[in-house]
Amino acid sequence: MKKYLIPIIGILLLSCFSACEEYSYVYEVNAADVDAITANKNKLKTTSQYVAVMYVNLFQKPLSANQLYDISRVILSIGDKELAHEILISNFMNEPDVILPSNESMRADIPLFLDDVYERFLIRAPSEAEKEFFIRYIEARPDVTPEMVYFAFALSNEYQFY
Amino acid sequence: MKRRSFLKNTALATAGTIAVPYILPSGRLFAQTGTQLAEHVVYVLFAGGVRHQEAVGQRYLKDSQYAYDPIPENDVEGNIMPNMLVGEEPELKRVYGIDPPEGAGPPGSISVGSVLGNPLQNQGVLFKEMTCGSAGHYIGLSSLISGNYGSTQGLRSKPTQPTIFEYVRRHMGAPATKTWFVGNGIGNSTPLLNYSVDPDYGAQYGANFFAPSVTFGELGIEYLSDAKNYHPDEMLSIYEMKEFLDNSFYTTGGVLPSIGNTDEEKFNIRLFMDYLYEKGPSGVLAGIPGGMVSGDVRNIAYACEVMQWFKPTVTVVNISGVDSCHGNFTNYLRALYRADYGVGYLWNYIQSIPEMAGNTALVLAPECGRNSEPNAITDFNDWFAYDHSDANANRTFAMMAGSGVPNGETIENISPAFSTDTAQCCLTVAELLGIKEEVISAGKVISPHSLFDML
Repeated sequence: MKKYLIPIIGILLLSCFSACEEYSYVYEVNAADVDAITANKNKLKTTSQYVAVMYVNLFQKPLSANQLYDISRVILSIGDKELAHEILISNFMNEPDVILPSNESMRADIPLFLDDVYERFLIRAPSEAEKEFFIRYIEARPDVTPEMVYFAFALSNEYQFY
Repeated sequence: MKRRSFLKNTALATAGTIAVPYILPSGRLFAQTGTQLAEHVVYVLFAGGVRHQEAVGQRYLKDSQYAYDPIPENDVEGNIMPNMLVGEEPELKRVYGIDPPEGAGPPGSISVGSVLGNPLQNQGVLFKEMTCGSAGHYIGLSSLISGNYGSTQGLRSKPTQPTIFEYVRRHMGAPATKTWFVGNGIGNSTPLLNYSVDPDYGAQYGANFFAPSVTFGELGIEYLSDAKNYHPDEMLSIYEMKEFLDNSFYTTGGVLPSIGNTDEEKFNIRLFMDYLYEKGPSGVLAGIPGGMVSGDVRNIAYACEVMQWFKPTVTVVNISGVDSCHGNFTNYLRALYRADYGVGYLWNYIQSIPEMAGNTALVLAPECGRNSEPNAITDFNDWFAYDHSDANANRTFAMMAGSGVPNGETIENISPAFSTDTAQCCLTVAELLGIKEEVISAGKVISPHSLFDML
């Protein structure tokens, strides 16, 4: 038995080394770095930037410099910035000239609505996973309105960055 | 049962028996080690730069104005802080009170007296001679609130060392709405003092903050008071969608610093804000004589509303009207008198809140003093103004009163065995709340002694 042991070990080692041999495949396509869809957003907006951009997104017109200054001061006066933003958006949503799509148009073509809202707020197209989530979410909840979707996007962390 | 299973189960049960009692309902891992002397602490940053001579020195005009051209009848002394200090008010040259009807006397000549039956000095301990390590507002305020001067502390930046809010939230397990900072405005570093940038503490242990002059002033009314009221189910949907978006962003963008109000706490704060917008400034200031309403008194009145609504574990109130002394000594006296009135009003108000009466302590200290020598600016009374930059600006005082504090003690001079810095007020608040050892163990305060150690 012992006389076969050494050859067997030798064969095993040989097969192991041959399995570890690396092969190089060339597919002849251009190399590309793959990043997450939000990877380049790493700069936090200032309060003024956040307010100015949000105002344009909701009203489709710019905020005056005086109003921007005043609103930035108001936000500074509240410790919980997320709460401050929430209250500010709630006030904006009460303005008569806020521009929102109708519920009917949103539900008539939810994917199109999502493409628009992602482009408007996050300056990008939604990933398939994101689109899938929101389509299911909106379809399953008849009470969800475009206003609520806009509200969520305006509050989101990604919207705070650029 | 097999031996291995038996040993495993026994080990798990033993570990559970040891660990579970320390995971408290508040979420903290360990019980606080100290005795809690007060359930609530109100910490007044009696700020703006209070000159020792006119405050606890009770020298009024004697050291400040007429020492340079001494006329005996002008050497008026007296106490212009009747709510905080024991002492008679000046009999002559009163300019700090409310204005009499036209022609009935000089402006400011009517005293409104004390709103407290008994000055706070008699209800607690007055430390007459303290020092502050900084003669300026920025470092002075951050040292009061963090117990440390922070050698790298910048101006107009967040404290480098943990604040009392962070100590309370981390070591007592207090939710965000149990810690409040009510600032006198949004200038300088004031809105930045609700939490530090310390990596062991930081935003997640920060306090809620309002600057009522802005939040509930004209700007707040214009931009925040007309919020659309969403049904809680609608808000829930909004939060769910936001949470999905945040989770998608989390891996690459990170999270924003947040003081961690829960959804329920946020809703409660919104209710509170709606209540105050409805009540309006006139409602908040009802009961305060018109002539006594200053920016400081207004801020204190809003702090009272915060306490009434949230019953915080720690409330810090910042005032600063006395800084008018840079250019107008008469206005400084008026501001000091009103700041004292505000403290009296605050203490009375606390006694009217059932959940806080009898179990609340007050700690108070200026962030710095003012100079010994005046600058060249004179006011309409020809009185000289004072800045804060010389050694006298490091001379100050501190006071504590209420639950857990001895009554009626005045410490004239403190034993040299202890340091006497107002930054120690931070540790004093911690001691009142039973977390002194935890704060000392964190190793981030300048002294392991609180004001109690000086008694």
